[in-house]
Amino acid sequence: MSLVTTQPDRSVRMPDLKGVLLSSEFGLFLLIVLFGGLFYSVSSGFLSSFNIAAMSRAAAINIMIGFSMMAVIATGGLSLAVGAIGACAAMTCGWLLQEIGLPWPLALLLAIAVGAALGAINGVIEVKTGLHSFIVTLATMSLFFGIMIFLTQAQTYRGIPADFVSFGRMKVMGISAAMGPTLIVTAALIVLYGNTRIGKEMLAAGARPEAARLSGVRVGRMIVLAHAISGGLAAIAALLLVARNGAAIPSMAGNLGQDWLLIAFLGPVLGGAVLTGGKISVIGAFLGAVLVTVLSNGLLLMQIGEFWLQACLGAVLLLAVLLDLARRNYLERRAKQ
Amino acid sequence: MNRITSTLTGAAVLAALAMAAQAETKVAHVPGGPHPFFADWGPASVAAQQDFGLGAADYKFPQKWELNLQNDLLESLVTQGYNAFAIHPGDPVGSVPTLNELVGTGAPVIAVSACVNDPSDVAFCLASDAGVSAYHGTKHLIEAMGPGPKKIAHFTGWLVEPNTQLRIDGVARAAAEAGVEIVQVIADIDAPEPAEEKIGAYLAAHGSEIDGVITTAWVPAVVASNAMRRIGDKRIKMIAIDHDEVVMDAIRDGYVVGSMLQNPYGQAYVAAFAADKLRNGCKVSDAAPFGDHPLTSRFIDSGAPYINASNVETRAEVDKALTAELLQRVETDFLSCN
Repeated sequence: MSLVTTQPDRSVRMPDLKGVLLSSEFGLFLLIVLFGGLFYSVSSGFLSSFNIAAMSRAAAINIMIGFSMMAVIATGGLSLAVGAIGACAAMTCGWLLQEIGLPWPLALLLAIAVGAALGAINGVIEVKTGLHSFIVTLATMSLFFGIMIFLTQAQTYRGIPADFVSFGRMKVMGISAAMGPTLIVTAALIVLYGNTRIGKEMLAAGARPEAARLSGVRVGRMIVLAHAISGGLAAIAALLLVARNGAAIPSMAGNLGQDWLLIAFLGPVLGGAVLTGGKISVIGAFLGAVLVTVLSNGLLLMQIGEFWLQACLGAVLLLAVLLDLARRNYLERRAKQ
Repeated sequence: MNRITSTLTGAAVLAALAMAAQAETKVAHVPGGPHPFFADWGPASVAAQQDFGLGAADYKFPQKWELNLQNDLLESLVTQGYNAFAIHPGDPVGSVPTLNELVGTGAPVIAVSACVNDPSDVAFCLASDAGVSAYHGTKHLIEAMGPGPKKIAHFTGWLVEPNTQLRIDGVARAAAEAGVEIVQVIADIDAPEPAEEKIGAYLAAHGSEIDGVITTAWVPAVVASNAMRRIGDKRIKMIAIDHDEVVMDAIRDGYVVGSMLQNPYGQAYVAAFAADKLRNGCKVSDAAPFGDHPLTSRFIDSGAPYINASNVETRAEVDKALTAELLQRVETDFLSCN
């Protein structure tokens, strides 16, 4: 079987401490501390209780969006439809709550199921047609979003129960309660990819599909499953957003759900995921999304013009990646000496 | 003894400085997104800061008309030290949790130019009554079209915008009362591209079948005014909204009959005044004579004057008088500062 791991590349043997220092996760942690310190020096409000709660709520959603992309990257694919699926799941939830009057826990479960089903459709199309997931999800992004807009007439569902909305505003020890589901999902994904046969088979299918197939891995089924997990996670992200906004809004992820794409890729890629599949890091994706959140929040606090926010975010993230690369190169050179 | 005196003096100075800093009001004017309607909020912020001695009054807007972005911006503004808010809510319901959270930090929040659904912790809503304005605008259109069976088209703004449905209802009510048929409502076109495309296509295909046009959003008003000028025969009567120069010129030249104003400058200016007062001990008066509004029971109508060829040249004076009257009305009728 091909290498199936969520651990950092160990091709350079060295003591564990150096392995940790070389890891993407440690680099991200350093960058979070670095930028956190920078933003705090510019604005003391950065670490205020209000901002910590706001940042943790945004991070909870960003992490989940990153996970939804990571699940597909694990099998060597990608999904441009995560935002569209999230918007569809949120609108389903809103419709079930407002029009059907279901209890909100049941509505949430059904919305997550819809997200997973839409994801699975992506996977089935990819496996059956042999087309790259880029093409498949580019098409379904428009398809899913278009059908959702047609069915809902682009109306916002505002009949969200107060209990659910108050969850979006709740804090536990100064941290947004939205972090709760995110941490649970994080733990579940660590177990899935690190300790279960299915998780390892998904990574194997992404690393070397042919080898995995020869080893008895049902690659097609793993791809469908990865897309289904991705859809379910996108739905959870969208539901956290519904709790935050108190309404299910068709444009919550931008037109066609495109506003999620940058966040969706940045988390896992910064976290060390290999885009060709087979290697991901759940903790890395978590920290990558936290870094993106810290940067977004800090740039807003620095009163960077709102129109320049995206440009600055991209530039600073590029710098962050280059700094991380330089750090790892430096440590590798020292390790070889 | 000298040492004690200087210590006490120093402490008193520090306390005074702390109190002054605490009393300093920093108002943020935040619309739901970038839009020409809010262009007057910038100068209104500057004027309010100078006239009312505010610590700061700034116009900040999200990069896109999206609730998430407005929420992110509002949260960051709290962290930046803004302690009073005049906000055009991105969504009448979806904005409520965030606005309540702002109020929870001790910052007074006033909904400006659009209201949020009750219940909310917002002090009050200061806006033109969008439904009534659309109703009166349609009445002016019906009067301009003259007697007999008439058909009109209605071009309006984003469906997610809190006022749009109220405007659609207001136009429908006035038309129904007069027996006028609304043959088409085109919504979600408060941006140049969709407005040009849909209004142009509609007038090209059906312009000969209608007698009048009512527009109840900024960009459709501008686009339709240009279309009326291009058509040129002045047969189709049109009532616009707001005060874009394209609309004002079309009124001057007779291509558009008139426009319903909203005075965004005055709304933002007076909201900053009220937010500062609320932050410094005033309360919303128990006997405040709030008006009726479909979304809230705490509505202050900021007025919607009608501009036509007879008063288009004196529009600035109309706005100025409206602002002065609104400021006085809010201070005396709606705030209690005892």
